Amino acid sequence: MTIYGIIMLCTFFMCLLFNPASELPVVTFFGRIMVFTLIALLSLAVYYSKEELTVKAWWVRTVLHLLLLEAVLLPLAHYWGFWQSGTDILIYAGFILLAEALWHLVDYSINAKTAAQINERIRKNRLEKKTGKE
Amino acid sequence: MKVTVEQIGRQCEEELIVRCHDPGADWVESVREAASGQQTVCGWREGVLYRLKLSEAFYFEVVDDRSFVYTQAEVFEAKEKLYEFERLCTGSTLFRCSKSMVLNAEKIDYVRPSLSGRFEAVLSNGEKVIVSRKYVADLKRMLGV
Repeated sequence: MTIYGIIMLCTFFMCLLFNPASELPVVTFFGRIMVFTLIALLSLAVYYSKEELTVKAWWVRTVLHLLLLEAVLLPLAHYWGFWQSGTDILIYAGFILLAEALWHLVDYSINAKTAAQINERIRKNRLEKKTGKE
Repeated sequence: MKVTVEQIGRQCEEELIVRCHDPGADWVESVREAASGQQTVCGWREGVLYRLKLSEAFYFEVVDDRSFVYTQAEVFEAKEKLYEFERLCTGSTLFRCSKSMVLNAEKIDYVRPSLSGRFEAVLSNGEKVIVSRKYVADLKRMLGV
């Protein structure tokens, strides 16, 4: 869902900036976004590992993931007319980079909320134990 | 409530059976905690075999097919596989936290999110270990979040 939303946002801003008068049937638009999302989801396979990834290994795979997305999405987006030439490709590549960063940021903020809940519970449990002993 | 204590020989394994109306009652939890604290695991260090209480263990880790038990400041080698540790820890405060580790929730000082989409747990001895997102739900359930 997060990936789908991010891709929709990026596509919206790409059209708004470079081709505000463009018209696309709703079914085609959503269909293409779904294909982009499916590719983004399949590309997550680069994170698969039998062992727990070290921080370094995670960064290496994140760079690989980004390169894979750029390599697959850029030609496909060009084929569908999301970018035409020259500076367009750089901006579109920038959007993919931004989408990847945004995805990790959303992920991080959800985890931060979970961590805060856990820490609050740990603090309460500790306090309960302390007052129970007294 | 009726309490029965039966003395058994050293050759028999000690066992505790609780017959109760509500398995989630506070007193049952307390008995479970006390019992799991008495559960032990064997660990080798410098050629000497030690019997360690589960409650003393900070975490179990499997590295290159070898199992280790980490306590406050010491490391012991153990014979159990990770799934055997997991089974041994059922009902205790230890839970599977990653692909190669079983962690004692009681020893967690605090957790913080990591950029890698996982969590870093800082233990009461200052050590930092990774908790996979996949297993965070177990930690939350254990803590009552």
